[in-house]
Amino acid sequence: MNNELDMSRTVAPATEASRGAGTAVPTPQAPTRSAVKPESAARVKMKTENVKVYYGEAEALHGIDMAILENEVISFIGPSGCGKSTFLRCLNRMNDTIDTARVTGTITLDGQDIYDPSLDVVLLRAQVGMVFQKPNPFPKSIFENIAYGPRLHGLASRKADLADIVESSLRRAGLWDEVKDRLHQPGTGLSGGQQQRLCIARAIAVSPEVILMDEPCSALDPIATSIIEELIHELKENFTIVIVTHNMQQAARVSDRTAFFHLGELVELADTGQIFTNPTHKRTEDYITGRYG
Amino acid sequence: MSTNSSTGSPAGATSTATTLSREQVATRVNASLRRRHRQEIIFKGMGIGATVVGLAFVAILFINIFSKGLPAFWQASITLDIYFDPEVIAIPEMPQRLSGESGNDFRQRRVDWENEVGLVNFNRLIQAALAKVIPEAAGHPRDAARMVTSGERIALRRLVIADPSIIGQTRRVTLYTDANIDVWLKGNIDRSLPDGQQMLNSRVREWADRLYEDGTISLRFSTALFQNPDSRSSLASAGLRGAFMGSLYMMLIVLLVAVPLGVASAIYLEEFASRNRLTDLIEVNINNLAAVPSIIFGLLGAAVFINYFKLPFSAPIVGGLVLSLMTLPTVIITTRATLKAIPPSIRHAALGIGASRTQAVFHHVLPLAIPGILTGAIIGMAQALGETAPLLLIGMNAFVASVPSTPFDQSNALPVQIYLWQGNELRNFFEGRTSAAIIVLLALMLSLNGLAIWLRKRFETRW
Repeated sequence: MNNELDMSRTVAPATEASRGAGTAVPTPQAPTRSAVKPESAARVKMKTENVKVYYGEAEALHGIDMAILENEVISFIGPSGCGKSTFLRCLNRMNDTIDTARVTGTITLDGQDIYDPSLDVVLLRAQVGMVFQKPNPFPKSIFENIAYGPRLHGLASRKADLADIVESSLRRAGLWDEVKDRLHQPGTGLSGGQQQRLCIARAIAVSPEVILMDEPCSALDPIATSIIEELIHELKENFTIVIVTHNMQQAARVSDRTAFFHLGELVELADTGQIFTNPTHKRTEDYITGRYG
Repeated sequence: MSTNSSTGSPAGATSTATTLSREQVATRVNASLRRRHRQEIIFKGMGIGATVVGLAFVAILFINIFSKGLPAFWQASITLDIYFDPEVIAIPEMPQRLSGESGNDFRQRRVDWENEVGLVNFNRLIQAALAKVIPEAAGHPRDAARMVTSGERIALRRLVIADPSIIGQTRRVTLYTDANIDVWLKGNIDRSLPDGQQMLNSRVREWADRLYEDGTISLRFSTALFQNPDSRSSLASAGLRGAFMGSLYMMLIVLLVAVPLGVASAIYLEEFASRNRLTDLIEVNINNLAAVPSIIFGLLGAAVFINYFKLPFSAPIVGGLVLSLMTLPTVIITTRATLKAIPPSIRHAALGIGASRTQAVFHHVLPLAIPGILTGAIIGMAQALGETAPLLLIGMNAFVASVPSTPFDQSNALPVQIYLWQGNELRNFFEGRTSAAIIVLLALMLSLNGLAIWLRKRFETRW
């Protein structure tokens, strides 16, 4: 067991093999990331070392080491309760909101320790945005939903600037054309897929560097899902995206690299193509071939 | 049943264990169906029965209160032409302010003059006026004096002070009759009782009947009920004003003390405090506090506010503080429940964008919780408005014949007034007055609850 775990840590992918089989749409927006570029050349955005999470006495994550690269889409897969969402929430310290949760180890964002007591968690969350499983727009107008973040952080000094930010965020989320005539109607009146894109627009309105997505499509129908997936491809150009998903096809379609979690361990992290065609570990293979999970 | 119908049992083991034919299944299901339907009907019937019984009790209560209380709003009043006889009202001119006189001196002279007006025997004016409609009343001044309730001479004095020029003139004035006449005319006392058991002698009863017939005495809407404080010397002019104002001051204090304190502590406990032994203990204690008999809060108030802080006895300030303590748990519990009901996704959304915890609460959670918080606060206040027991222990059951002008003055409260009137010796008169006070209290409660509903609808955000 330990041996396997140790190995998994060393299995940080050496090369990005062809993003073949699973990836439906190639990403023209990311020409710089050629398929053969070695990982070491890509800049590390976030790095975690020996991250353990305890809920009370129980250890939910058993020491995760991971490097998240700039402008990549990395997906976390694994059966329910494997700790992938818990780990995701460590990355912007959302676990702080749970009284019993305790995190050890180090997580850095651009080399800066995010659990450093001197670091303001508010600043971190402006840099590491989050999209949740269930679309959760504020019960306010569409405009107010987007404008809240920029206003909070003082990103727009004038009203016109704010309107610009709202428009560009909605455009980047591919929602502008659908809502431009009803910006002042409640965001909760939109369809589920639109609400989720509104939440993505809300997240990117504060210009984060990393966007965490916790099963963003699990409450959506297939059409809304495919729209969001396309959106993820486009957002990759500007943001680093970490996505937790239960849907292995989705992981195969949207991500550059995939991490497989099981029982609180990171079993394997490799290029998406490799994970789905030639996994190193038996547990990964069993999971992706549907033997459990 | 289930074992019988299971097809897995070995065939032929016993007759009942064999696989049932389709018909047998149908008959059995039908039989059980009939039983299930019967149970459903019985349960439904019991539910309806319980509701009907409950409603019937409410209906009886309301019919009882309104049938007794509504007539009390109309009170026997006598209309007399009163001659403001200068011989009886032998008073000096109303003082005018002299040049060079200080304001204080003038006020002093003015008060002296008003006191002098108070010494006038206004009963003689009433007796004289009565003698004009009932000639034989001239020979029975004591009986004549009993026709009009004693407090009304103050009404006449007020007329003279307001306008001294009426001295020497005749004015048509409507005065409340004695409470016993009201009782007699409304039939609230058995008319066949012998003289010895009647409150009024036969002469006064006969006069009252005669004047009622010719319209001199009629039932008029009683403004005394709303304008006057309680009275024991002039029962017919006893009113609710003092108790009403006392209750109003207390509600004001509850609003200013219990609501902010309760809402603030609920927000802290629900949104900010970490869960540990201490907060668990606090939570359990708040829940227990809500169940503490209210009279104990009265003891606490007497010990702390009156004995220790030396606040005045019988004052709305103490009552309000005691009721605040009593309302606090209600406000905290309802506010916490409301906050708990706000979906956590809203908080996560705000935190996820980088709002601080305080910002998430004040920008997003509280606006959504406001309707619930308001409802809780108003329901708590309505509960405090009707509370009687703790007030008894801080002296608010004292007889107070004045309207409080500040929360530090002695005062009554509406529910205590009801309790006091209920115990008044002149039952026949005060039964109606009590019910009238209950109607006023109920109307206040209903309007508070109506306000709560309106506010909830007004601020409700749908999502």
